[in-house]
Amino acid sequence: MPKIFLNILFVALSISLLFSCDNSPEKLPILGERDFVKGDSVYHTIPDFSFVNQDNLPVTNETYKGKIYVADFFFTTCPTICPVMKKQMLRIYEKYKTNPKIGILSHSIDPRHDSVAVLKEYAARLGVGKGNWNFVTGDRKKIYEIGERSYYVTAGEDSAAAGGIIHSGAFILVDTKRRIRGTYDGTVEESVTKLLKDIDTLLLEK
Amino acid sequence: MPKIFLLIFSLFLLSCQSEEKIKLEQYYIGGKEIYEQNCANCHQKNGKGLQNLYPPIAGSDYLKDKSKVILAIKNGLVGEIIVNGKRYNQPMPANNQLTNLDIAEVVTYIYNEWKVETKITEVAEVEAVLNPK
Repeated sequence: MPKIFLNILFVALSISLLFSCDNSPEKLPILGERDFVKGDSVYHTIPDFSFVNQDNLPVTNETYKGKIYVADFFFTTCPTICPVMKKQMLRIYEKYKTNPKIGILSHSIDPRHDSVAVLKEYAARLGVGKGNWNFVTGDRKKIYEIGERSYYVTAGEDSAAAGGIIHSGAFILVDTKRRIRGTYDGTVEESVTKLLKDIDTLLLEK
Repeated sequence: MPKIFLLIFSLFLLSCQSEEKIKLEQYYIGGKEIYEQNCANCHQKNGKGLQNLYPPIAGSDYLKDKSKVILAIKNGLVGEIIVNGKRYNQPMPANNQLTNLDIAEVVTYIYNEWKVETKITEVAEVEAVLNPK
């Protein structure tokens, strides 16, 4: 009889030990190519940009200075993955909307249709009021370029795709130093749950 | 003797009923799959829509006119619509890839799942709406 108790105790102890390991703060990786300059690592960073948001205000890299932000690419008439992505992005918005350290940046990849007025109505209908979620439009080439070269997402026109545009459903997590710290599938609930957890981890980082 | 006839007769009735029930079940299951592939992105699995962007299907007064629903599924919608007194204005894509049977199934699913009715929407009904004589 006591042997069983000992066994149970042992299992319980090992489990608690496992969990205690899991609690130690993990550090998120820094993604992208890196160079070494005079022995120092130089990481891939998001370059300067300038777009216009749903309130017709400029949104630039300065807007996100010292902030952690989540970027994605969408278009308002997209019938496939965007509604799912926006539903997931709402979770992030709801959780951090009063936190000035966190932002969301949704780029339209159909700027010909998605004017400021269209984005304004879309945001309002989504229930996004004053807060830190910018829906931006701008020069199509620039948006596609920053998407592919900087955030590493695919975006392009394809008449065979629903809505005429093919693109990825990725959410990209960018830290206060403009470095990519994670990419997540914005169409998968569990992936976004991980993103929420990673934002909290990043907030603790000095 | 008559008791046996009664028994056989009631068995016959029962099997008829369940055949109808099986067909409804088949439409419902097929319709659920079509719904989740083609509709749930915007209208959500639970049919409640998304914020003020995509209207609900569950509990929606739009379902009162089934021909309107069938036409919207096949040809899509553009422009403002009013659902349960609220205005929505998001284009709905056409679903040309859906056959009349697909549409009959998905409509059966929608109307049964959200308790508008408990019967099959027949392919003939869909045909009558899409190709009126």
